[in-house]
Amino acid sequence: MSIIALDAPGKELLLMGNEAIARGALEAGVKVCTAYPGTPSTDIIENLASVAKPMGLYVEWSINEKVALEVASAASFSGLRALCAMKQNGLNVASDYLLSLNLIGIEAGLLLVTCDDPSAHSSSTEQDSRPFAKLADLPLLEPSTSQEAKEMTKWAFALSEEMGIVCLMRGVTRTSHARGNVTLGPLPSPDGRKAWFDKTRQRNTHPVYQKHDQLHRNLIRLEEIFAASPFNQYIGPERPKALIITCGSGWLYSQEALELLGLEDAVGVLKIGTTWPLPTTMIIEKLEKTPKVLFVEEVDSFLEGNVKELAADFSGQIGPKTFFGKRSQHIPFFGEMNADRVIDALGKIFQVRYQARSPRYEAQAAEVAEKMLPSRALGFCPGCPHRASYWSIKNALQLDNRQGFATYDIGCYALGRGPAGYYLLKTGGAMGTGTGLASGFGKLASFGFDQPVVAMCGDSTFFHAAMPPLVNACYNKSNLVMVILDNSTTAMTGFQPHPGVGRNAMGEEVAPVDIEAVCRSFGAKVSVTDPFDLEGTKQKMLQALEDPVGAKVVIMRRQCQMLKGKEEKLPYQVRVNPEICIGDDCGCDRLCTRVFKCPGLMWDKKLAQARIDEVICVGCGVCADICPEKAIIKEEIR
Amino acid sequence: MEIKSQHKGQKGLREKVLDAGLCTNCGACTNLCPYHTSYQDNPILIDTCDREEGRCYAFCPRTYTDLQALRQNLFNIDEFTPELGPFKGLYMTRAADPQVRRSAQHGGTVTTLLALALQEGLIDAAVVAEEGGTFLPAGVVAKTPSDLVRRARSKFVVSPNVATFNQAAKSGLEKIGVVATPCQALALAKMRLKPLPSKDSNIDKLHLVIGLFCGWALSWRELKSLLQGKMGKNSIVGLDIPPSKHHSMEVHTQNGIIEISLDEVLPSVRKACQYCYDLTAEFSDVSVGSARLPEGWEVARGWNQVIVRTQMGQELIALARSRGLLEFRDLPEGNWEKLQKASVNKKRAAIQNLVQRSGSSKDLLYLDGQDPVLRTLMG
Repeated sequence: MSIIALDAPGKELLLMGNEAIARGALEAGVKVCTAYPGTPSTDIIENLASVAKPMGLYVEWSINEKVALEVASAASFSGLRALCAMKQNGLNVASDYLLSLNLIGIEAGLLLVTCDDPSAHSSSTEQDSRPFAKLADLPLLEPSTSQEAKEMTKWAFALSEEMGIVCLMRGVTRTSHARGNVTLGPLPSPDGRKAWFDKTRQRNTHPVYQKHDQLHRNLIRLEEIFAASPFNQYIGPERPKALIITCGSGWLYSQEALELLGLEDAVGVLKIGTTWPLPTTMIIEKLEKTPKVLFVEEVDSFLEGNVKELAADFSGQIGPKTFFGKRSQHIPFFGEMNADRVIDALGKIFQVRYQARSPRYEAQAAEVAEKMLPSRALGFCPGCPHRASYWSIKNALQLDNRQGFATYDIGCYALGRGPAGYYLLKTGGAMGTGTGLASGFGKLASFGFDQPVVAMCGDSTFFHAAMPPLVNACYNKSNLVMVILDNSTTAMTGFQPHPGVGRNAMGEEVAPVDIEAVCRSFGAKVSVTDPFDLEGTKQKMLQALEDPVGAKVVIMRRQCQMLKGKEEKLPYQVRVNPEICIGDDCGCDRLCTRVFKCPGLMWDKKLAQARIDEVICVGCGVCADICPEKAIIKEEIR
Repeated sequence: MEIKSQHKGQKGLREKVLDAGLCTNCGACTNLCPYHTSYQDNPILIDTCDREEGRCYAFCPRTYTDLQALRQNLFNIDEFTPELGPFKGLYMTRAADPQVRRSAQHGGTVTTLLALALQEGLIDAAVVAEEGGTFLPAGVVAKTPSDLVRRARSKFVVSPNVATFNQAAKSGLEKIGVVATPCQALALAKMRLKPLPSKDSNIDKLHLVIGLFCGWALSWRELKSLLQGKMGKNSIVGLDIPPSKHHSMEVHTQNGIIEISLDEVLPSVRKACQYCYDLTAEFSDVSVGSARLPEGWEVARGWNQVIVRTQMGQELIALARSRGLLEFRDLPEGNWEKLQKASVNKKRAAIQNLVQRSGSSKDLLYLDGQDPVLRTLMG
């Protein structure tokens, strides 16, 4: 069980930001927690799921973020505090309902946490989710530390209830995944409150314009509340030469930069924890006392733009200011924030030179790294069924010889846009997009389009967003091949179960949803194959590609090796017979290490032959099947 | 003239042959490595190969070919004729066994010679083409005379038989005979010169090449759609092309013969065939084709014309005659000259098309403009 449920008020724990959010929710008496997994938000719900039974919670992995928000809203309407978590792309999905829920209002506290991923470490977008708060006229909080994440979470439920609206909280990768000290508060004792929906009151968006008006009046009230919030604070001289306005991770980076530059006595830091609506009076008061302002925030210029709006409104009172930030190009518009970026910006403003390390440092580090680290392309794990699937799909598309290509969504299989998937993936983006795009391409025959299109889709993604576009394709008689890479888990985010798996977030056994039957019921022609059967898979793909009529679904089913490896021992001992391997000679040219590229295969430069990396080989044996000389031997392990 | 590209591997093959529209899908580059294959009548590159030199390029009948070296090394140069290649004699034959004749395209000579070679142990397997009901032929390995009979009819789409030879040689068969179109016979001849310092000795397993006269082959996809449009539900049992004055393709159906004008058929001819220089499969032991007789096509379609080119071919024909397996009749007056003329016409057309393709009268792409025979023809 996660330590987040530790009943020890006053105890200090080292918690990840996401654990702190989960703990804050527990201290606030949350009852229902929902999410669709998405890095860096995933561990909020994973932690809550692990304590669900002892803490009397209901926790679910919803099939997508919109449904997650709807499920959480139902709890709120029924008087139960609820938390819904997602990553930045997830809020795009949930936003459709969010933009109704803001008008509908809530009953018990409802917190929507979005974790953004600056630098897109594990994302298909680098996106700032904060404008949704402004768009929806909803309050937005941004924690800077783990302790604050916990406190803000707890407070957000109360705020949400007081205002009768959903409250948003935005984290970023570094606040979600960094650890910090957190002093635990008390956990509420069970209140035994019965969930109940008051059917005397309709919960809808009507009358729309009056409710919209109410939202804007809320913002005025929220400004007053935020003005007194301890989450907004100022450190620095009474009349600083410059003022940094920052939030989230930028707060610690700003303090570090000032310390390193020795500018603490010259520059003040105004840290905003309530980033929408802004605490106007507090900000104006600080602006009055400084000529220069630098904005330090991650992703977009949200604070920067909104503070400038205020400065315009109060220009008579505060006088002219010089603003520095993303628009002035003192802070980059992309990528994660760090202390160096803040130092760089301050250095330019104050004409200070600071060198944390030799300018040659990066080049030297790269040199050393190159010597010591083998260069590795982004690829699939050894034994990953996706590699085998892509191999057969690639071969089928080549044989088909009509310049076929593949579209994709989000998931491990999106690595197929690189060498791991033989560069098959040509366009895609959002969840379910691969199938939607393919549905479109598949209707262009009357304009001379004659390339086959393969939509690559994961099993979890199928439930998330790919069913509607498949229905669309069937309904509109589009000619496409949809490949469902069914590895029986949500692998990319850490093996969360989904409706096809037979188990839910609470660990309960459930009847798995039969993907095959679902697709058939839509009217698609469905075949199922084991990707490790390379020839059979290729034939099924060829059959699907050559069928000119309608939507064909090929389900390539084999459990993710990361899960399988935990449950089963290696199936094969794999070795290379050096008597047979012809290496880079005519007839092979290193097919296994140059093209197939399983990381379990190594090229021995001295011998000019392939070898197996016994440390990471999981014995799947697929390479034995692709070796043209039959030099890779797989022997069953008893 | 040597070609310009330094790449004598897959990259060179792609540039000079595949992308240039010269590939005949003979199969010479296939089953040597994992990267080249043939599917539904198309040459396919599965993945790229980085080697700068490879058998795919060296064996291809449409990469630079030193014809003179082939003639000198593989044939008796004294018996070489510019019109018909290595030449020991021209005969008119047919199978003595009427059952073989019935299942054959014309006289059943190929089936008879291969069956004899198998029986005599001259070869232990024969690579022939087989087609299903879809006119898409594939190379198969026949090990008994009865395996041959049901594959006897002509195919009008190229079967990559050299690919099947490569596969058969790898699989441990030691003495292999191949039925080859002119491009395939040329590929096999190039392989016999062992152009690469390779340990690969599979070509030593080639013991007999029976060449087929070939004017051109059809593209499968286009033939299929042509026939689908014409035949409706009539099931097709075979195809034939009568002598040129008929200017038609015969489609043999269960309800009789339907004729399609060659004007409709010719657009479906593989584009690469226009660059082919060889009508009679010159680099074989014996070459077999259809016959012409004064009695007309109905009689002629039961006979073959056979060019014997090598000692091996000569002995095989002689054995077939002495065993009474082949019937012979006198070659009608003028047949030799007509065949020579047809062959020379194809060579001239190929040279013309190659010059047009390269844009230079000195650049014949895969052929050597300095070749003595070509120089005679080019005048």
